[in-house]
Amino acid sequence: MITILLYNATMCLAFPGRILKLTGDTAVVDFDGVEKDVNVSLIKGAKTGEYVMVHAGFAIQKMGEEDALEVFKLYKEAEGK
Amino acid sequence: MNETDVLKNIHILAKKIGREVNLMEVCGTHTQAVARAGLKSLLPKNVHLTTGPGCPVCVTAQEDIDAIISLTLAGIPVATYGDMMRVPGSFGSLDQAREKGAKVFDVYSTEEALEIRNSKLEIEEDLVFFGLGFETTAPMTAYAIQKGLTVYSTHKLFLPAMKALLEIGELKIDGYICPGHVSAIIGSRPYEEMKVPQVITGFQPNDILVSVYMLLRQLAEKRSEVENEYVRLVKESGNPEALGEIFEVFEKTDGNWRGFGTIPGSGLKIKEKYRDFDAKIKYKDILDKVDFSKSRKPTACKCGEIIRGLKSPKDCPVYKKGCTPDKPIGPCMVSVEGACNVEYRYEK
Amino acid sequence: MKNNESVELDHGGGGYKSWELLQDIRGVLKSRGKWTNCEDDAAVYDLGKQKLVFTSDAFIVEPIFFPGGDIGKIAMCGTINDLSVMGAKPLGISLSIVMEEGFPKADLMKIIRSINKVSESSGIPVVTGDTKVTQRGKIDKIEITTAGVGLAECVIENNGIKVGDVIITSGDLGEHAITLLASRFNYKTKIVSDSKTLNKEIEEVGKYLNACKDPTRGGLAANIVEMANKSRVKIVVNEKTLPYKKETVAVSELLGIDIFSLASEGRFIAAVSPKNSDKALKILKKFNKEAKIIGVAEKGTGVYLKTELGALRPIEMPKGKLIPRIC
Repeated sequence: MITILLYNATMCLAFPGRILKLTGDTAVVDFDGVEKDVNVSLIKGAKTGEYVMVHAGFAIQKMGEEDALEVFKLYKEAEGK
Repeated sequence: MNETDVLKNIHILAKKIGREVNLMEVCGTHTQAVARAGLKSLLPKNVHLTTGPGCPVCVTAQEDIDAIISLTLAGIPVATYGDMMRVPGSFGSLDQAREKGAKVFDVYSTEEALEIRNSKLEIEEDLVFFGLGFETTAPMTAYAIQKGLTVYSTHKLFLPAMKALLEIGELKIDGYICPGHVSAIIGSRPYEEMKVPQVITGFQPNDILVSVYMLLRQLAEKRSEVENEYVRLVKESGNPEALGEIFEVFEKTDGNWRGFGTIPGSGLKIKEKYRDFDAKIKYKDILDKVDFSKSRKPTACKCGEIIRGLKSPKDCPVYKKGCTPDKPIGPCMVSVEGACNVEYRYEK
Repeated sequence: MKNNESVELDHGGGGYKSWELLQDIRGVLKSRGKWTNCEDDAAVYDLGKQKLVFTSDAFIVEPIFFPGGDIGKIAMCGTINDLSVMGAKPLGISLSIVMEEGFPKADLMKIIRSINKVSESSGIPVVTGDTKVTQRGKIDKIEITTAGVGLAECVIENNGIKVGDVIITSGDLGEHAITLLASRFNYKTKIVSDSKTLNKEIEEVGKYLNACKDPTRGGLAANIVEMANKSRVKIVVNEKTLPYKKETVAVSELLGIDIFSLASEGRFIAAVSPKNSDKALKILKKFNKEAKIIGVAEKGTGVYLKTELGALRPIEMPKGKLIPRIC
C-alpha cells in the first residue's frame, strides 16, 4: 500500500524540467528521467530544450540551463563586494 | 564555498547586529523546507525565523470553506487541491462530505478538474472548482475559467497581507523571506513599496541559508532593499503572460483572510465578463441559504494568531492535545504547509 | 479505533492507523500458544534444533499488470521475503485467489505463469491453495493471499539492532511505489517495480544481519521506525547517502508524497555490526550494486535524518491518506 504522508501540498510545490516535445499548448517535459505533460500556455515562446519551472501542471517560468544550485554564485558575489 | 561558510558568516553577522532579529518567511513551502532541512536549529540564538500567512489553505476563511461544503452537500460536484479535503468547516469537511456520498474530487491541477468535468460526470452535471491560492495558482484558474470551468474564487493577492502585517505592527518584522513562486509571477518590483529588508528566496536548503545571510547583511549594513536570491527563476518583471491571464479574468476586491479578517484589495473576484463561470453567482440561491453566522472558527484554535506570527503552535492550547494531523481542529494542522502540521512532524 | 467507527482507507496504509488497527485485533486474538515473534514479519515456532517460521499476506493492486511485474509476482515475492528477512529458508507457499465474475481467464493464466516463474527461479514451490469467484461488483477484479512456511536455524529479529551498528539497504528503494504511481498519473519513466525474491541474498549475508526488514507498506519510514523502537536505539539516516534514484525523487516531489513512505517489494534494510559491514556489502553488491550504508544506530530513541545542512530532524511513522490498491 502506498501511504501519502499527510496528503500532498500541491499549491506551492514546483519542480524544474526540460521541454522534450511541444504540441500547441502542451509540452512533454522531462524531470530527471520522468516525463509528463505540462501546459505551457502561461509562458511566452516556449521552445524544445528549454528548462521550465512547473507548478500544478503548468509551466510558470523559464529557467536558464545552468546548474540548479546557483546559490553560491550570489553569495560569492556578495562576499566579494 | 559551502554551507558551513555561509553558516559561519551568519553567526558572525548575528553577533555584529547584537540584538534579537525577527525574520519572517511567508510561504508555506518555505515553512516546510526550513523544517525538512532542520535549519532553525543551526541559526544563532538571536535570529528567529517566524512563520507568516503563506499557507493558502490556512488563510482560507471559514465562510469560504463552509460555502464550498454547502455546495457539495447540495449535490453539486466539487473539485479542489488535496490539502483542502480535510479542513474542518462548520458543517464537516469535504472529505467527510465525500464519505457521505457527495461528489468531491481532489485534483493536482485545473486541467485534471476540466478532464473530470468533461469525462467523468453526466452531461448535465456541473463541476465547481474551489479556486484557492495566491498569484501562483490564480493564472491556472483563470485559464480554466476561459475553458469553461465554474469556479468559486477565494484566490488572494499576497503582498497586501505582507503589508498588513507591517502596518498592524503587532510583531517586529526585521526582514521578509519572500515567496519564490509568487515572485516568479509578480517579479521583484512590487516588493519595493515595503520599506523593510527583503530577499526573494528559492526552496532548496541552501537558498534559504543564503537568504538569511543576505538579510542579516542588510541589517548589519543598515540597508533596506529588495534582493533576489532566486535569480535562476525570478525575473524583475515576473511573468507578464501569467499576470495578464489573471487580470483578464479576475479583478481586485476585498479579501477575507483567516486571522486577518478583511484586507482591502487582496482578493480576486471573477469579472462580470465571466459571470457564467462564477459559482458565487450561479449558485447564489444555495449560498444565500447558508447560515454563515455559524461560521465560527473553533474557539480554542489559535490558527489566526499563528498565521500572523504572533503565536507559535506550541502556544496553542489544543496543539497536540486534541489537535493532531489525524484529528485536526484547525487548518494549520491539516495542511502539510501549515505551521502546526510542520511543527508536529518535524520538531524533535 | 472505537467500535462505532468504520474502517477507513488509512487503516490499510501501513502507517500509524494500520498499526492501531492491528493492536485492536491483537487485543482480541491474544492466545499465541508456543508461537513467538507474532508481531514480526513472520511468526516463529521453536522445534528445537530449528525454528518453524510462518507468515501470510494479502494483495490488492491497481493496475494488476505493471512494468516489472504483476499481482502474482508481488504475492509470491512478498511472502517469500517475509520468511527470508526472518532468516528462514522458505519451504512452500499456499496460494488463495478470489476473483470477480468476468475476470478474463487469459489474465488469470498470465498471473499464474508469473507466479510459476518466481517459484522456479527461487526454487520454492506452491503446494496448496484455493480459488473462489464472487459476483460481479463484489470485489474489484482479483485479490490474492499467500502464506508460507520456512525453517530457520537462527531467526533474525527486528529488535536486534545494537548501538554502533550501521544500517544498510540492499538497493535503491521506493521503485515499486513509483512504478504504480507513474502508471496511475500518466508519467513516463524507465523505472520498473523492484519486486523480486530476497531469499538467495539473505542466505549468503544472513549471518551478518543483526536485524532485518523489508520496507514494503509504509516504506523506509514505517519499517525503520519499527525496528528502532523495538531495538530501543536511535537511528540517524544520512541525507547525503539516501537510497533513492533521481527519478524516484522527481515523482515523489511532483506528487508531493514523502519519499520515505514509498514501498519497495524486493529490497531489505538491515543492521550490521561495523566489523561485518564491508563483508556484507561486498556480498550484497554482487546482487545489486546500489547496496549501501545509509545510517547508523546510536544510543537514544527515535529515527532522524541528518540533513544536508548538518541538522537533525525526525523521520516519523507515516500517517495519512492512502492511494488505494497499489500493493
